[in-house]
Amino acid sequence: MSNKAIICRCEDVTLSDVQHTISLGYKSIEEVKRYTGLGTGPCEGKECMVHCARMVALANGGDESVVLPFTSRPPVQPVPLAIFARGEEE
Amino acid sequence: MARADDKRINEVPHGDRLNLSFEGDDVPACAGESVAVALFASGERVLSRSIKYHRPRGFFCLAGHCGACLMRIDGKPNVRACKTPVKEGMRVERQNAFPTGAFDVLGAADFFFPKGMDHHTMMTSPRALNAVLNKVVRQLGGLGKLPDVPASPAELPRPRHKHVDVVVVGGGPAGLGCATETARGGKKTLLVDEQDRVGGSLLAHPQHGVRAANEALAAALKAGVEVLSSSTVLAWYPEDAAVDGGEPGLLAVHTPEGLLKVTASRYVYATGSYDQNAVFVDNDRPGVLPARAVGRLLVRFGVKPAERPVVVGDGPYARALADALARAGAEVTRIDGRDEQIVAAHGHGWVRSVETTRRKKLKCDLVAVAALPAPASELPRQHGVAVAFNDGKGGFHCRVDDDGRANAPHVFACGDVTGFGGIDDAVSAGARCGRAVVASFSANGMGAGARA
Repeated sequence: MSNKAIICRCEDVTLSDVQHTISLGYKSIEEVKRYTGLGTGPCEGKECMVHCARMVALANGGDESVVLPFTSRPPVQPVPLAIFARGEEE
Repeated sequence: MARADDKRINEVPHGDRLNLSFEGDDVPACAGESVAVALFASGERVLSRSIKYHRPRGFFCLAGHCGACLMRIDGKPNVRACKTPVKEGMRVERQNAFPTGAFDVLGAADFFFPKGMDHHTMMTSPRALNAVLNKVVRQLGGLGKLPDVPASPAELPRPRHKHVDVVVVGGGPAGLGCATETARGGKKTLLVDEQDRVGGSLLAHPQHGVRAANEALAAALKAGVEVLSSSTVLAWYPEDAAVDGGEPGLLAVHTPEGLLKVTASRYVYATGSYDQNAVFVDNDRPGVLPARAVGRLLVRFGVKPAERPVVVGDGPYARALADALARAGAEVTRIDGRDEQIVAAHGHGWVRSVETTRRKKLKCDLVAVAALPAPASELPRQHGVAVAFNDGKGGFHCRVDDDGRANAPHVFACGDVTGFGGIDDAVSAGARCGRAVVASFSANGMGAGARA
């Protein structure tokens, strides 16, 4: 039987994956992202980052002020690269 | 021809009937529906498989934000089924499955690794085996397969540029209210919304709905707002100028006609919030949906989402949705999500029951989770707006004053992106922000059209 509670649907990252990662000492969202792949799928963290933030805040003694989001980078939605491919000049 | 399990509500007007080709079979759809809605309304369930464990995936947010409904549509991979309007004869296929989406042998990965697999400790030795497994993984992994036809650069439209006094990103209750005020204040206003139908969360709320969205849109248009729908703001590029010799800083907008570079004297982010799930075992089963996605099915699309839904949450939206589902004839069970919580979902291709902290087995055919949505703060973050994490506000919310002024110059934010508040808050915050935007022009001694 499956025993997976999914935190990041895009990359199939589970609750126990994130708990394990935090237990290794990675107590920031960025580190959890790099270890598990959380937030690196097509939704770019729209569904998983806040779950991860809550767990990271708990791991830091409940201090919400130390929790930082991923760096937000363009584009915020997946897009065919073709739309950037054409310059303005003929 | 309607199917026996067709979920479209007869009393609600639907668009003209047409047919999609879904994995080679004809599936009925109605004009105005997205591919995801049409497939669901016609009784289809699994849309794809997940990337690692090949778990079944159905749509989730139904708002173009999550990654759950990526399909191969007309030969193009990774197209969001929830944002693609149906067309006659459209070819729709599942992806990430071998040999077929309906029967995926790769689903064995889920079975053989019940506790998950840590790729950091796998397949590292012996080296020869590692090399072979790498090749296998590369064949199986990834999202989708390459398009049938490569894109031809010559056919691409050239990027365009538009300058306005005020650009408002997001056409929900906050954005519409703000844009209406700035246009009434004499400012040339552009409102950009990613959906094909403007209205945002109004279109998911049984007490507001299509009529409220249409009224808010009509008021904006009457005030002179230029509305760009089906257009997604992709990024704030601080270092690029939209035109030669122009000042740096532009919004890149993906429109149906190609790339549009938008510059403005004032930027307003009314980007709303992203729907979230609750955490329990097998919470990713198709049919476990955010409450607002269920609301969209019912309110915007006139589709009866379920016969026996479970609604999770004790807020006003959960209540309104449960009442509306009951009015549509569903047998609704409510779980408050506090004293009683879901422990696990059961069912494979679609949820069939849930286990809660109080009940061993609660049969259902849909779970609507009214979790606090997360502020959609990525774009304002790119634009230098300060955010803070606050669990009670749904996540990383923009820090603004009462009128929506952000720390970054000429930037404002209003509505759920400043911390989830719901529709009524968004309406009043939007209008207040719009008046502050208009006032900011005279305070700085700049006329309409002056470049910030």
